[in-house]
Amino acid sequence: MTVPLSWYLIFATALFSLGFFAVLSRRNAVAVLMGVELMLNAVNVNLVAFWRYLTPSDLSGQIFVVFVFTVAAAEAAVGLALMISIYRTRKTINVDEINDLNL
Amino acid sequence: MDLLRSSVLTLIVFLPAVGSVIVALMPKEKEDLIKKFSIWWSVIPLLLTTWLAIDYATNFLRGNQMAYQAKFAWIPSIGVNYHVGADGLSVPLLFLTALLTTLGLYYSARVIRKRVKEFFLLFLLLATGMFGVFVSLDLILFYVFWEIGLVPMYFLIGIWGNPKDRPQYAAIKFFLYTLAGSIFMLLAMIGVYLSTGTFDILDAAAKGVWLNAPTFAMLSFWAFFIAFAIKVPSFPFHTWLPDAHTAAPTAGSVILAGVLLKLGAYGILRVLLSLFPGQFAQFGWIVALLGVIGIVYGAFVSLAQTDLKRLIAYSSVSHMGYIMLGIGAVGVALGMKNVAGAQESAAMAFNGASLQMFMHGIITGALFFLVGVIYERAHTRDLKVFGGLSAVVPVYYATMMFAGFASLGLPGLAGFWAEFFTFRGAFGIVPVLAVIGVIGIVITAAYILYRIIQSLFLGEFDPKRWDHWTTVFGEHADGPTDMALFEKVTLWPLVILMVLLGLWPTPLLAFFNEASVNILSSLHF
Amino acid sequence: MNYPSVFNLTWLIPLPTALAFFAIILFANPKKRLSSNIAVGAVILAWIMSWAVAIVFFLNPELTEHPFDLNAPWLPMGTITFHMGVAVDAVTAGMLFMVGFVLTMIFIYSTGYMSFPGHLDPAKYPDAAKEGLDPRYSRFFAYISLFATGMLGLVVANNLLMLFIFWEIMGLCSYLLIGFWFDKSYPDPKQITPKQAGLKAFLTTRVGDVLFMMGLIFLFIHAGDLNFQAIFGNQEFLHELSTSTVNLPFFGAVTWAGLISMLIFWGAIGKSAQFPLHVWLPDAMEGPTPVSALIHAATMVSAGVYLIVRMSPLFSAAAHGGSGVMMFVAFIGAFTALFAATIAVAQKDIKKVLAYSTISQLGYMFAALGIGAWVAAIIHLLIHAFFKSLLFMASGSVIHGVEHGHHHVHEHGEHGHEGYFDPQDMFNMGGLLKRMPVTGWTFIIGGASLSAFPLITAGFWSKDEILAHAWADGHMAVYWTLAAGAFLTAFYTFRQIFLTFFGSPRTEAAEHAPESVRAMTWPLVALAFFALFGGFVAVPEDFPVIGGLASDFMAKLMEMQGEFYGLHVAPAGFNWTPALISMTLALSGIVVAWLVYGRKPLAAGKPDPLRKPLGPIYTILENKYYFDEFYHLVAVRPTLWLAQFFFLFDRNVIDRIVNWVGALGRWLAAALRRWIDEFIIDAAVNGAGLVTTWTGAVVRLIQTGQAQNYLLILLLSVVVLLLLIPLK
Repeated sequence: MTVPLSWYLIFATALFSLGFFAVLSRRNAVAVLMGVELMLNAVNVNLVAFWRYLTPSDLSGQIFVVFVFTVAAAEAAVGLALMISIYRTRKTINVDEINDLNL
Repeated sequence: MDLLRSSVLTLIVFLPAVGSVIVALMPKEKEDLIKKFSIWWSVIPLLLTTWLAIDYATNFLRGNQMAYQAKFAWIPSIGVNYHVGADGLSVPLLFLTALLTTLGLYYSARVIRKRVKEFFLLFLLLATGMFGVFVSLDLILFYVFWEIGLVPMYFLIGIWGNPKDRPQYAAIKFFLYTLAGSIFMLLAMIGVYLSTGTFDILDAAAKGVWLNAPTFAMLSFWAFFIAFAIKVPSFPFHTWLPDAHTAAPTAGSVILAGVLLKLGAYGILRVLLSLFPGQFAQFGWIVALLGVIGIVYGAFVSLAQTDLKRLIAYSSVSHMGYIMLGIGAVGVALGMKNVAGAQESAAMAFNGASLQMFMHGIITGALFFLVGVIYERAHTRDLKVFGGLSAVVPVYYATMMFAGFASLGLPGLAGFWAEFFTFRGAFGIVPVLAVIGVIGIVITAAYILYRIIQSLFLGEFDPKRWDHWTTVFGEHADGPTDMALFEKVTLWPLVILMVLLGLWPTPLLAFFNEASVNILSSLHF
Repeated sequence: MNYPSVFNLTWLIPLPTALAFFAIILFANPKKRLSSNIAVGAVILAWIMSWAVAIVFFLNPELTEHPFDLNAPWLPMGTITFHMGVAVDAVTAGMLFMVGFVLTMIFIYSTGYMSFPGHLDPAKYPDAAKEGLDPRYSRFFAYISLFATGMLGLVVANNLLMLFIFWEIMGLCSYLLIGFWFDKSYPDPKQITPKQAGLKAFLTTRVGDVLFMMGLIFLFIHAGDLNFQAIFGNQEFLHELSTSTVNLPFFGAVTWAGLISMLIFWGAIGKSAQFPLHVWLPDAMEGPTPVSALIHAATMVSAGVYLIVRMSPLFSAAAHGGSGVMMFVAFIGAFTALFAATIAVAQKDIKKVLAYSTISQLGYMFAALGIGAWVAAIIHLLIHAFFKSLLFMASGSVIHGVEHGHHHVHEHGEHGHEGYFDPQDMFNMGGLLKRMPVTGWTFIIGGASLSAFPLITAGFWSKDEILAHAWADGHMAVYWTLAAGAFLTAFYTFRQIFLTFFGSPRTEAAEHAPESVRAMTWPLVALAFFALFGGFVAVPEDFPVIGGLASDFMAKLMEMQGEFYGLHVAPAGFNWTPALISMTLALSGIVVAWLVYGRKPLAAGKPDPLRKPLGPIYTILENKYYFDEFYHLVAVRPTLWLAQFFFLFDRNVIDRIVNWVGALGRWLAAALRRWIDEFIIDAAVNGAGLVTTWTGAVVRLIQTGQAQNYLLILLLSVVVLLLLIPLK
């Protein structure tokens, strides 16, 4: 029995939605970052699934995933560093209070 | 020689402008250098125009009409050329312009004391504009030079004008009035281009303008005419003139009366007459009528003046009326092709008008210098405070007598020939108008003798009547001092010309006669 | 035709004095004696040349058939060229003879006359007073030199245009010389001053000159030339001119010849001071006396007569064509002759009397021309010049003497004269014959000549000829007018002589008047010779006894010349009746003058004995029929008023309109700025800004600055887009 592509896609959608929900709803910036990670991983699932099912001979899907991992890691690092820096100046990482763009 | 002949007009036109650039580069503290340079620089065009006159008289006076032509493309996309040339009509006027410019600069060097650099710069620039109009054979070029002349004059009046005479008002009136006229002219020029496809005066005249569209032809005629009539100025467009003349500094008035007014008359003869002969024949009587009104009206108004300079300004209105009468008569004669003697009369009226342009230039130029002479000493021009100067300043008296009597048309002096030829032409063509114009001669005698000569010179000199005398150099004096050397040097060339041309107008007349014969015959007359 | 080579000098005749004029004003001016020497030298040169030409012509009467004509191209006029030049015919020769001589005499006389004038303050002009010469002595000689050029040029001119030029130059000199003492003023503000008199003279003659110029121009238009020989040698042209007509308003159809003649005649009326333009000449006496003698007696005023003499072929052609212009000339002449004579009767200024007598005598000449007595007019013109300049110069000598006497009295303080003393008033004179014998006797000779004292004076022969013509040709009205004038002439001339020279001196000044210097008396004697014997060149051949003894070569010469020009010039022939009448009238005029003034000399301070019998007429005559006042009212005042009116019109209407247009432009600009600019264009621009601001304010609300909100919107947008896709 083979698992059809749609399952992976549904799973990835769910994962993406969870992550997106976390991004939208969480007040804690760290949680928002984690949501972003979830969304990225959902994308990775999609990439791997499409590679496996549609173009198994082409490695580009897997390579994309590797890139995404790398970028996600870097993003997490930079994001957390920003959080720390913001926390140091503001004593909070509540995203509702970080609205300096609206000036 | 050929190279000189083809470039001489360009040199004459642009040398003054080059001079004004050089003046601009000089440090403004070196007033003496600026003055000397400007005067000597302006002598170059004077020599060139003298050479031009002699050369034209010896080589071109028989039959060859437009000489010294130079032509190259300027704005090819609309067919505008730099096209210059001179004939018997423009050569004497070029000489007149150069002469008055040099004399004006020379005189101003002694009496202009503020903002010297700007004055001489603008004066030289002015010369370029005037020379340019007299040599242009392309309408756009003509227009450009026409406008160039305006700007320096505006500043000359506005800055160096006598503060008592509202110079700014006079300057802006002069500028706007003339500019308003030139707008019409520009429109009409574009009309000429639309009709003939060329801006070249000679080509357009050969092709004929608006031959099939009489309405357009009429509108263009009047548009040109208004521009020229304002400049002349013809009654009823003359009121800028007394204000501008009165306010302008002496040399400015001289140039204004001596040359700038002639631009209008020259434009009528050069542009209007050759481009619109049909309309001229039709409306010539209006031109002549305006001329006659100008003669009589100007003379009467002069008679009522008590300000010497304003009087002479109004006398210009009257004298320019003779030009308009002559030109109008030429126009009327164009419509009388089959009438015996009309052609002769037209040639004489043409000669009269062009002679008057030249003669009025030297006579009224001299008169304005003479006003300057007395004004620099008395600091007033009110005729009521003078009297008896004949005994005190005999040289000034003698000079004024020559100029005054030349102005009233005394035979034997320059003004007479202009009047005689004008009336000889006009009586043959528009006798009724000429009869009315003759009244002007009597009134002219009245205002020259009664107002100028009698008020200034006759009676007993009473030092109590006016006690603000200085010398011409601004030092205190107990009474009027006679003309200084530089004033004699300025005025006597003009007086000599008045006498010489009064006795023997033949050489000058030869130029104008050639032009009149050529222009009239080119109109198939 | 071979002309005597001296004729080639003709064009040089006006030149020496012209050069003298320029030499004096340019160089010799500061040196007074040098200036007068230059002028006198020049005029003597001109005199010699004039006489050379004139006498050679007199010796060759056949030249009347071939007048000398010398031309030079001068004015290119269209396709033709106008020639200037000189001509000599009998008239020119006669004029040259007279003008050259009179000019020289007057120049010499002036060197004596122009001493330091009485009206100037010697303290103001110390140099001139020390020299005893007029402060503007040089200037005077410059002016009269120029005048001499004008007169000589006019005489030799061979065409009308050149004649006109010299004509006007003389007008200029007349103006300058009348106003020569421009700083003179009188205690009576109504008395005309020299400067006003000069202006009046110039402007009055200018009116005539302008009409003359119109005539000249019309003639030029029709003839295509103005050369006398060319016009008058062309009978066809004259005929055509006298038959073609022109329609004028008021006058109806007139012939061109008539119109042109009339216009030219008006020039002569102005220059020769004929009625109604006579008013300037008496006032012209304000000039120095040599000027009056030269310009206003001998030469310039007679130029008007000369002009009509010249143009006579045209006039007679006009008359043949039915134009009344000759009649008009005769009428004006005769009327003026009598009219001016009546005024002269009541004048007290010695020069004014002579001025009116000049007007009157010129009237005789015009009357003669009008009735066709061409030769008589020329002869009278020439002879009148001699005796009238003599009279003027003698009167100048008298004035000089009286003025000197006045100064003499004043300086010696015997009797301090209070107030203003008029040295020209005849009532201040009397008994001068003893004090000034040469002046007195020459004046009497001139006066006798003017009065046409029978047989022995020149004036008799010339004037008698005019009267004889009028009688013979049946112009009775003219004859009687002129005869009445002759009576008055004799009367006022001898009234003058008796008042001035006889009786006893009425003032201290007259008592001490010295005889004038020789420079002044010698010319008087020379002229007196011509005033007495000049007439013997024109004594009618058939005059009893004397006709056989004397000559009439001049009259013959002129007759030949007239015939050459196609004029009717037959001599009147001697007739006892008119001759006796005119002799009787002249003598009775003298007798009446003797009865009134000579028999019982007027005592000092007494009024004119004529005043009482004439009553109001005397006042009218004294005031010259109020012509000055009349002209002031109808010509001078309206002109000045009109000038003022036009000036106000110019300032308040025409210039106002220009300024209104300017103001309209400014108002329009202001209106555009205020209404169009502010409410439409500016409003649109500002409106755009406002809308942006407002939109921004609204849109800003969704700009929370919270990334989560943005993402939410992103989500919603994606959802909406996803929903839209199937709808496509």
